[in-house]
Amino acid sequence: MKRKYILPVLAAMLIFTASCEKYLELEPSQEISEDVVLQTDQNVKNVLLGAYSIFDNPELYGGHILLFSELMSGDGEVLFAGTYTDIRELFNKQLGVSNQYVRQHWMSAYNVINITNNVLSALEVVDEDDRGRVEGEALFLRSMMYFDLVRFFALPYDAAVSANSQPGVPIVLTPTKGIDESNDVPRATVDAVYDQIINDLTRAASVLPSSNNVFATSGSANALLARVYLQKGDYTNARDRANTAIGSGYTLMSDYASVFNNDEPSSEDIFVTYITNQDRFSAMTEFFSVPEFGGRDGDVDVLDAHLALYDPADQRLALFFEGNGRMRSGKWNNQYGVVNLIRLAEMHLIRAEANFRLGTTIGAAPLDDINALRERAGFGANHFATVTLDDILLERRLELAHEGFKMHDVKRLKLTVASRPYNANELVFPIPFREIEANPSLEQNPGYN
Amino acid sequence: MKKIYLIFFVILSLIGNSLNAQNQRVTGTVTNGDDGSSIPGVTVLVKGTTLGTVTDLDGKYELNVPENATLVFSFIGMNTEEVEVGQRNIIDITMVSDVSMLDEIIVVGYGSQIKSKLTGNIASVSGDEIQNMPVPSVQLALQGKAAGVFIESVTGKVTSAARVRIRGASSISASNEPLYVVDGIPFAMEARNIHGGAINPLSSINPNDIESVQILKDASASAIYGSRATNGVILITTKKGKAGKSKLDFNYQRGFANPSNKRDFLNSEEYIDYYRHAAANADAYEDFLYGDAPGTNDFWRGFVEGRFKRYSGHTAIIGANDEYLGSESNTNWQDQAFQQADITMIDLSTSGGTENITYYLSGGYSNQEGIVLGNGFERISARLNVDNKVNSWITMGMNLSIARTDIEQINADNAFANPMQLVALVPISPLRDQEGISSNVPVTTYYNPIRHAEYADRQMNELRTGTNGFINFRIINKMNWRNEIAYDSYTLQENNKYGTLTNTGESVNGYGFSNYAQTQNIMGKSFVNYTDKFGDISLDAVAGTELTYTLLDDTYVEGEQFPLDEFKTLASAGSITGGYQTVNQYSFLSYFTRLNIDYEDKYLVTLSGRVDGSSRFGANNRFGFFPAVGVAWVMSKEDFLADNSLLSFLKFRTSYGKTGNAAIGNFAHLGLYGVNNYNNQSGLIPNQIPNPDLGWESTTTTDIGIDFGLFNNRVSGEIDYYIKNTDDLLLSVPVPGTSGYGSQLRNVGSMENKGFEFLLNTNNTVGAFKWNTSLNFSYNKNTVTDIAGQDIIDPGSSRFMNVTMLDQPLGVFFGAEYAGVDPDNGDALWYVNEKDEDGNIVDPDATTNAFNEANYVVLGKPQPDYMGSITNTFRFMGFDLSFTFQGVTGNMVHLSGDSYMAANGEWFDNQLRSQLDSWKEPGDVTDIPQARLGYANGVQGRNSRYLEDGSYIKLRSLNFGYELPRSVVARMGLEKLRIYVVGQNLLTFTKYSGWDPEVSSDFVVDNVVSGVDFYSPPQPRSFTIGVNLGL
Repeated sequence: MKRKYILPVLAAMLIFTASCEKYLELEPSQEISEDVVLQTDQNVKNVLLGAYSIFDNPELYGGHILLFSELMSGDGEVLFAGTYTDIRELFNKQLGVSNQYVRQHWMSAYNVINITNNVLSALEVVDEDDRGRVEGEALFLRSMMYFDLVRFFALPYDAAVSANSQPGVPIVLTPTKGIDESNDVPRATVDAVYDQIINDLTRAASVLPSSNNVFATSGSANALLARVYLQKGDYTNARDRANTAIGSGYTLMSDYASVFNNDEPSSEDIFVTYITNQDRFSAMTEFFSVPEFGGRDGDVDVLDAHLALYDPADQRLALFFEGNGRMRSGKWNNQYGVVNLIRLAEMHLIRAEANFRLGTTIGAAPLDDINALRERAGFGANHFATVTLDDILLERRLELAHEGFKMHDVKRLKLTVASRPYNANELVFPIPFREIEANPSLEQNPGYN
Repeated sequence: MKKIYLIFFVILSLIGNSLNAQNQRVTGTVTNGDDGSSIPGVTVLVKGTTLGTVTDLDGKYELNVPENATLVFSFIGMNTEEVEVGQRNIIDITMVSDVSMLDEIIVVGYGSQIKSKLTGNIASVSGDEIQNMPVPSVQLALQGKAAGVFIESVTGKVTSAARVRIRGASSISASNEPLYVVDGIPFAMEARNIHGGAINPLSSINPNDIESVQILKDASASAIYGSRATNGVILITTKKGKAGKSKLDFNYQRGFANPSNKRDFLNSEEYIDYYRHAAANADAYEDFLYGDAPGTNDFWRGFVEGRFKRYSGHTAIIGANDEYLGSESNTNWQDQAFQQADITMIDLSTSGGTENITYYLSGGYSNQEGIVLGNGFERISARLNVDNKVNSWITMGMNLSIARTDIEQINADNAFANPMQLVALVPISPLRDQEGISSNVPVTTYYNPIRHAEYADRQMNELRTGTNGFINFRIINKMNWRNEIAYDSYTLQENNKYGTLTNTGESVNGYGFSNYAQTQNIMGKSFVNYTDKFGDISLDAVAGTELTYTLLDDTYVEGEQFPLDEFKTLASAGSITGGYQTVNQYSFLSYFTRLNIDYEDKYLVTLSGRVDGSSRFGANNRFGFFPAVGVAWVMSKEDFLADNSLLSFLKFRTSYGKTGNAAIGNFAHLGLYGVNNYNNQSGLIPNQIPNPDLGWESTTTTDIGIDFGLFNNRVSGEIDYYIKNTDDLLLSVPVPGTSGYGSQLRNVGSMENKGFEFLLNTNNTVGAFKWNTSLNFSYNKNTVTDIAGQDIIDPGSSRFMNVTMLDQPLGVFFGAEYAGVDPDNGDALWYVNEKDEDGNIVDPDATTNAFNEANYVVLGKPQPDYMGSITNTFRFMGFDLSFTFQGVTGNMVHLSGDSYMAANGEWFDNQLRSQLDSWKEPGDVTDIPQARLGYANGVQGRNSRYLEDGSYIKLRSLNFGYELPRSVVARMGLEKLRIYVVGQNLLTFTKYSGWDPEVSSDFVVDNVVSGVDFYSPPQPRSFTIGVNLGL
């Protein structure tokens, strides 16, 4: 070959590379750019579904939020016999700031909040017919997140004082589009968080439809409001919202066992986590149940002190079963299916308690509400002739056992847990260490370094 | 054809004879002292003249020489020999490898160079040094062979990935692994398996096919690989044929491996005593906690007896009053976790060629079981490398390789099914139930991994085919234009089926999944090489362009509800519960150039540069430029040192340059929404915050080095000092979780690595008894110098302590400092370590028994300060012996699993025997806190109690062989017959109390988290015997 070929060679190389630049323009295949997501009705609705798809994760309403309420208030009625040290820490009320489950709760809850904020920022592109539903569901989910964040991460709301100005959790109401100092949101007061929740849920209750597949309905919003008001000790509102929820078409299942382990929501369910075999499994099953049903080793033992609370004829007692050598709750033996979050029985209990405390009989007399539940538990009609507040509270404890109510009731009713007062520092989650590091505006809870 | 050349050479020498009136005829044969083979192509020159010849294909030469002539025999890679002819007519010469290796030809990026003319730092390892090692991939064979190169197998599983750090870690969020280039093609190293820890894609290359490995360490050497060179580049060159006689090589090797260490656990009797004691302590502790009178609480005492019965299963011994008396079982579960591993390796290759066409053809089979139950690796591979000189100006060639591996993968270290977690099962549990089925919960404390080994089918295989063709045009004499096209296809198939006796399959009537992953790498490159000489100046220039496109796709299906366990495929699943198909891709478009200038062989300059573009980076930052310059001065070539008998070689070199790191996610710059499901409907979730400015991580490296040779290069070595500064660190910056995100990838932060390397090769004795020593050691100091203005990035794990902290090495252990045991009550104590505003510890002696009152402090670092190795090789008659000691020092290892097995009876996991020393009564001085069942007493995950010095020295390898004399083997019709033994990890010297300090548990290891030991198996100790035949 001769020198004269050199130039053509170089030219050929240049042409080769010039035609290659298009290979640098590659697009992802499994994801789409955020620019296009919030532009259409269908996309915004899909983002709303995305919020539910995080909400059902184990670290949130796939189970941990219910489980941890039961374990943290465990004082001789349950034993955590599993191996996960981070859960044992929680059970022993010796939480560390790096506890992974505490961190996951915080991170996932705010993830849902951000997704709902994205939905709420794009309501104008949603078809007008569905706009209320979409807005209501987003507000409902966001409220749910804030309600459990403030209950776990802040000192308890005290109805006896005029201002609950202790630190709650940061309130974020706008979608995140970038990161700068404005993302270093400080903790709002507990009052402010409750106000936000009540505003949002009130709005949600007014715009949501009464039936909505497995998603939030006006009944769900009213029921959650009743629960929020009860936690605040606002019995009037709690009673009224519970009464509204009861009148929304739900009916008690005829026997107690059929309330649980369902594949589909029952007529008693007001709101559920709906887990399918396409999702991760129920964390309630994982920890409360045994391998036969997809659980671990049987990590939560139900102890005699709890079983002794029941009348031997109580069908709710019969639901407990022996698995791996210890007694277990029989409510969580379905790893793919419904995790009961709000059910009608709770509304009867709220209405009964509130009516009793207020000396009213709105909707029904406390005795009737309680007897309805006793009857369903196998005691026949009109079991009690009269009820006291203690009867009502015990009924609540039995009816809702191991469904995530225990710790919040301890705090509301100012009880003690394993020699600790209801407002002990150890009964409050620490703000996760990673969050304190990432956000200089955050204040840690007392008792945690 | 070759005969024509021979005649030509003969004629040439005859002409020479007639012109110069030579009067003495000398003939002879040149043989290779290393293997006894003849060497064709050796230059034979009469010293001080231009008279000479080269040896023919049988290594023979003949030459007419003048009186009193001295013959000089030279050949690249061999020591030059000088012989006075005297009156002899036959002179046979044995040449030996040039130990100084100064004239060794070194493969560099897009070319090759003579070692003595390098300006950069390249460690070179010949194929001979890594042959016949019973390891599945080349990385482990390289352990200790190169200064400044840290190599470790993540765990002792035969299928584990290797971690390689060349001159320290330079990135926090991007990869720290080097770029592998095999025969000029960047090798796709993505591990695509789902089940278990990441496997090692490089294991699809048969180490016995490797001719040499070059490790490019500094910028002068590596910057030509631009945006992928920051972590160094490992060039792997496979064998090629040489013109000459056809050779056949057969190697057969067999042996076995065992775990290199075991730990001591409690037996049945000890276990029962210990836990009764722990239960009683827990009851007493609750009395104290609740202010009750002693003896009030007795929950735990009853509880523990119930558990004993449960765990003893059918072997429980129960008394008349239903009391627990003990167990007939005394199971050593640790022994069940291990197996004696068989090793078989067979290689057959042939090579040779003519002046025009050369070939190397090989087939290999390797079957290496792991030392852990159910772990194994099998590879069958073939390779064909052919080069053909078509005519005077065109050469064409191709490398073809194919390898199939069958991998028996076991679960990652953190899984209950990981066989190493058998040690958590308790000795009172029977191995099998009355039906002979491996026992399981509730009898065992946890899911029994033996069950998994027996009833979970795990199939994984890889198929890798590499095709790499080139055509080279010699445009003009001094200029070559080389074009290459390569296609590398890697597929991985995993089919797992868990029967109804496994924990996964139990509740769903069997579970199975199938994963099919493919990586396709397509590359084209074209470059021109030009060499010329202008007087005393030699030039060597290369310039070209390269395009790499990589496509990764995955198809995955899972299902449940099998009618019978015998059905293994998903076709029989009653319910398909999940599936996906994904596609990922990335590309690089590059332009590169290098210029070597050499003045009088004394003054050397290398200039190189590369422009890289990649799809991985934001639109604002798509192309980067990576230049480097290296200069060297060969002082020994100066007149004043020319005939120095002491100093035979001395070169000073320095280099400076910039490299990049592009090993991040493929679309990390975009704001993205992904898909997630609820109620069997697809939803969209935001999963990434955009960053259009995202670009390369760039590292500037300064290297200063000296190469020296003493006493005619009998002693040679290299000393290097380097500083690597990485800026624009690709950092996953933690953002407030209240934003809905955990982190954002940004180019912020910086990191520094500083260190030195020292390499020394000596020929201690020459002659019949040869003794060579090769020593290397290195020091590296890694410092995080900026992390987006933050002081610390803490992944926030409760179990692992590695964090990224300003002014500290990457991944330091950060946790509570254990202060021992309170002699009064047996509580674990912690140093409070409270700091004042200046960061000084207020009272270094203050302790507390409340873990949450202890402030976290830096407790140590996972990377070693110093590492090194020494290899001694002896040869005598036909015997050869070589052994390598290798070690590291200065690193800590976190025995994370010990917070379960050395937890002073916090829960029912069997305990290490060391826990028997736990505190018993007031006044006891011990390091083990009181055993309290159900209560964490000193067992929190992040504390220094479980942190130990990970320094070690290992007898990494030992080779002993005997090669039969040529006269004997010739009678058998052979060229060569060698029998040998190879030992690996035969000795370990360490203070570490765990299985093996060489560990970074596979489920958690990343840039930050390393040096973690969580039920990770130790390295194998292997012993093999082999025979090597040559024809």
